[in-house]
Amino acid sequence: MSMRLGPRPGEVIDRAREFTFTWNGEEYPAYEGDTIVSALAACGERIFSRSFKYHRPRGLLSASFLDPGCMVQVEDEPNVRGAHRRVEPDMVVSPQGVWPSLEYDVKSANGAFGRFLSAGFYYKTFIKPRRLWPVYRRMLRRFSAGGRVSASTSRGYFDKRYAHPDVLVAGGGPAGMAAAVAAARAGAQVLLVEEEYELGGHLRWGDEAELAALRVLREEVAGTPGIEVMTNSVVNGRYDDNWVAVMQRNLPHVEERLVKARARTLVVAPGLIERPYVFEGNDTPGVILSTAARRLINLYAVKPGEQAVIFSANESGDATAEDLRRSGVEVARVVDARRGGDVVRVRGGKGVRTVELADGAEIECDLLVTAVGWTAPTSLINMAGDSPVYNQKTARFFPSKLPDDVLTCGGIAGDGTLDELLDHARATGAESARRAAKTARRLRAGTPQASETREPEPPPGEIPELPLYEHPALFRGETHGIVDYSEDVTSKDLVAAEKEGYDSIELVKRYTTVTMGPAQGKLESVNAVAIMAETTGRTIEETGTTVWRPPYSPVTLGALAGRNFEPVRYSPMQPWHETHGAKPLVAGAWIRPDHYGDPASEVMNVRENVGIIDVTPLGKFDLRGPDVPRLLNHLYINRWDNLDAGAVRYGVMCLEDGVVFDDGVTGRLGQERYIMTTTSSGAAGVWEWIDNWLQTAHPEWQIHVTPVTTAYASINVAGPKSRELLLRLTEDIDLSPDAFPYMRVREGRIAGVEGCFMWRIGFTGELSYEVHVPAAYGLHVWETLMQRGADLGVGPFGVEAQRILRLEKGHFIVSQDTDGLTGPYDVGLGRMVRLDKYDFAGKPELVWQGERDGRLRLVGLQPHDGSLVPPEASQIVEGKSEIVGRITSSRMSPTLGRSICLGFVAPHLTTPGTKVIVQLPDGERILASVTPHHAHYDPEGTRQRG
Amino acid sequence: MVERAPVARSPIAPVPPTTIEHGWEVSARRSAAELKITDCTPLAKILVVASTDGELAHALGVPFGRAARDPHGTLVVGSGPGEWLLLATPATSVAVTQRVEQVRDGGLVSTFDATHGRALMRITGARAPDLLAKVCAIDLADDVTPDGAAFRSSVAKLVTDVVRDDIGGERSYMLHCERSSGQYLFDALIDAGDEFGIEVDGFVDPGIRGVQIT
Repeated sequence: MSMRLGPRPGEVIDRAREFTFTWNGEEYPAYEGDTIVSALAACGERIFSRSFKYHRPRGLLSASFLDPGCMVQVEDEPNVRGAHRRVEPDMVVSPQGVWPSLEYDVKSANGAFGRFLSAGFYYKTFIKPRRLWPVYRRMLRRFSAGGRVSASTSRGYFDKRYAHPDVLVAGGGPAGMAAAVAAARAGAQVLLVEEEYELGGHLRWGDEAELAALRVLREEVAGTPGIEVMTNSVVNGRYDDNWVAVMQRNLPHVEERLVKARARTLVVAPGLIERPYVFEGNDTPGVILSTAARRLINLYAVKPGEQAVIFSANESGDATAEDLRRSGVEVARVVDARRGGDVVRVRGGKGVRTVELADGAEIECDLLVTAVGWTAPTSLINMAGDSPVYNQKTARFFPSKLPDDVLTCGGIAGDGTLDELLDHARATGAESARRAAKTARRLRAGTPQASETREPEPPPGEIPELPLYEHPALFRGETHGIVDYSEDVTSKDLVAAEKEGYDSIELVKRYTTVTMGPAQGKLESVNAVAIMAETTGRTIEETGTTVWRPPYSPVTLGALAGRNFEPVRYSPMQPWHETHGAKPLVAGAWIRPDHYGDPASEVMNVRENVGIIDVTPLGKFDLRGPDVPRLLNHLYINRWDNLDAGAVRYGVMCLEDGVVFDDGVTGRLGQERYIMTTTSSGAAGVWEWIDNWLQTAHPEWQIHVTPVTTAYASINVAGPKSRELLLRLTEDIDLSPDAFPYMRVREGRIAGVEGCFMWRIGFTGELSYEVHVPAAYGLHVWETLMQRGADLGVGPFGVEAQRILRLEKGHFIVSQDTDGLTGPYDVGLGRMVRLDKYDFAGKPELVWQGERDGRLRLVGLQPHDGSLVPPEASQIVEGKSEIVGRITSSRMSPTLGRSICLGFVAPHLTTPGTKVIVQLPDGERILASVTPHHAHYDPEGTRQRG
Repeated sequence: MVERAPVARSPIAPVPPTTIEHGWEVSARRSAAELKITDCTPLAKILVVASTDGELAHALGVPFGRAARDPHGTLVVGSGPGEWLLLATPATSVAVTQRVEQVRDGGLVSTFDATHGRALMRITGARAPDLLAKVCAIDLADDVTPDGAAFRSSVAKLVTDVVRDDIGGERSYMLHCERSSGQYLFDALIDAGDEFGIEVDGFVDPGIRGVQIT
């Protein structure tokens, strides 16, 4: 059955482009420009969904973005607004949440149990017996509404953008367009955002005069420079200082874009939303709003029914009657609410069959059109801090007190003829531009570009008053019906909630979920307030409204996520690691080689030959100035003012609570030049720590600190043959043991690269050097080491091998073997703490720590069964379950052929040889013994100092 | 002795074909696209820290938040309070540093050759601000960040220095970040510029536009 009409002057469909799509398993025709629902309605379809709780059949109501009866699934995209989304060729559309079909939905049986499923039923049912919770959960899931997302669905491209318009106009109807043009002509950069696919608002389905006015306005917008137009987009939230979120669609290459706009002024011109009427059967397919009828007829050339009753309280209802008659719809009766007419109930299950009126008449028809009033969508001004006020004369809410940077125009500001509304909008637009310019001048006054002269401020513009037309206050008829179509909340539910004690609109909202559905209250909030007022005997003003919060309309998680901006850090040698089979380790933002296939072999190669490891992520700072020793003395627990040029020293930093914060070596390269290293993960924190001290406590110190972590590629060359290898690459550095002893630094040329430095330090327990080269040459030096050391058995080793090597040597790692309570005394560094220094970070705490007993101490441990490697964090226990320590590091040692550990134990267990009990995660207990040193290998250090 | 001359490499993998310029491996690709991105990492970058009211600050003549070329063609960027970054043609770090150190400031002055520590890239084209608007929250309008503006902000969630340095009236921005995230930033900018048809344009000596160092 075709309900398609002949051509209409303002239609948006292109009859030259016809195609087919699939709905509910069957093929349907459509024109380009049709929405999913308009195409289906043109074929006579009336039911598009089932309601949320009772699974009642639902048709279209508003034929707009907000339409609650038109949520459908498009392929793998759920919750698509079928009355707004344009249909495309071969699109596959299906109903949501029905079983087994839209026509015969078994879940509509919920309606029979309605009295048990009233608002708040889940607070009273499905609670006992508790053992049935899994059954209840499965059942409730089965009956839940909404579409389905496949786990294998493609992600889609979402992104974000920042914008800085002078004026942002929310709403592209006639008032919004006029305001945008006026603001742009006054010199403002304007962003005009419209929810529909085209600008124009209600003019689009208007009469000849309105269509002519629309053409003029569209030409003005297109012809005025400085206006960026976003259609099929919505202003979703207004935050402090006009930080505005816009969801932009209609982009060829992006599914949805979140535009974060800082607007100097915001003009809210959202038009008015037509309000449904509450009565028995008001959700029956065939009961529609007057704007829905006019949209269908004039935009999509679709006849909404064959025989209609119109319930009208205003001009929109009157105009609808004319549109229907011109479309060949028999208008059986026009019920005028202004003359006391009223609708009592609609009868019909899957479609309107009869309408019962207050005068007793029962009229057969298939269409009931209601035009009972308007709701001002005040969300954005509510978000701006305003509390809208109810006006009895017009039966709707208005803004009361707006901040300076927010203005309104159009229906939200008042009534009037089209000319009056446009004049008001133009004045508003000009004034918004003036205020934006004022803000811009104020912001620029403090910038380097600020002009010395100040021009006089132009005076505020005059905005004419708009008249307010009287409108009947129509919310609910004599009977009860659906208030919130999305949530299946009835007026009876609201009354019952009040009787149960929920006597404020905020409580009723949360208890019944009214206004909490996809429409977010735009269709139902005023009706809910009016019904509450009626029930409690208060006025609408006294009842008040709930608070509108962002988002204005539902937003996809994809738009909130945007692009995956997760900075990644690579060393210059990364290409080599990748081509040589390194297993990547994610270490914060760094990607590091964990190993190259066999960590145990890597360890042995370091012990027997020479290995190289990429340690570029080590934090590095260039320190210059005469007061550097004072800074080092302040930051570290040990003394630094006696460090000679060419010397390197190990240091530990503590925070002011005496907790170990970071460690590393610092070398003195010249009279007033030092290089500090830190842990890789601690570099950023140490930088903030240093800067804080220098900027706040000691700005008088003559020191410059420059982070140079990535200015140098850093390579640790370790093993008995490391000196031999480096001799082949260095040209001007004497590597002999006497000339270059342990804990010294030298500068020179390495592999032909100038500007390098290296220090002789050890973390692995072997003879080793840490080489730092200008980063762009890092790969060159690495490749040269590998090439020149081939006959020496040089091989790479990764982070895992390094961890094993350092554990064999007994070196602790900050944040691995220390925690938020560990002080230097606890890890055996008491002798490093120089309390004779005048002052340093953490000193008062460290004085106290040094005097206290009873703290856990770090010791070396070896399980008696050397084949067992206790997991890190395994507890050390005494008796039945008293915890007296824990394992902090644990590995199988290839060098020793047995497991080794570091861990904390209570003071009475620290004597070498003491047996302790380690409880494994599965409850098994094993024995381990405390070793004489932290080092399990070469505790005297002869191998690394040779 | 070392058998091969060292080759310097940017953290940004060069788009083929490649060539060597001033000892750096660079892309030799040429693009005529309306929006281009170029890896300018080979440029010499000298970080200078000194008092804001000393002789050196006066000699450099560029305040915080601005950038301008000196008589040698070096782009002097006021990158922070008492901090400047000097961008010059490749392999001129020593000469630039010497010029700075010749100024008698009277206070503590330090220079650091940051050539290797920073990844540097240039975006050129009328749509450059539209690209940046997708990854950076700063207002790029002429009255807020005109030609010669310099600021440090988050670009694709990375701390980045941005300098507007128009070329022949065409919008152009130089962006630099710490070296290890250079490839990430480059990729993020290409992703953002894809809708505007961005293409990679190879490095062309001298790279900084303007007068050669004498």
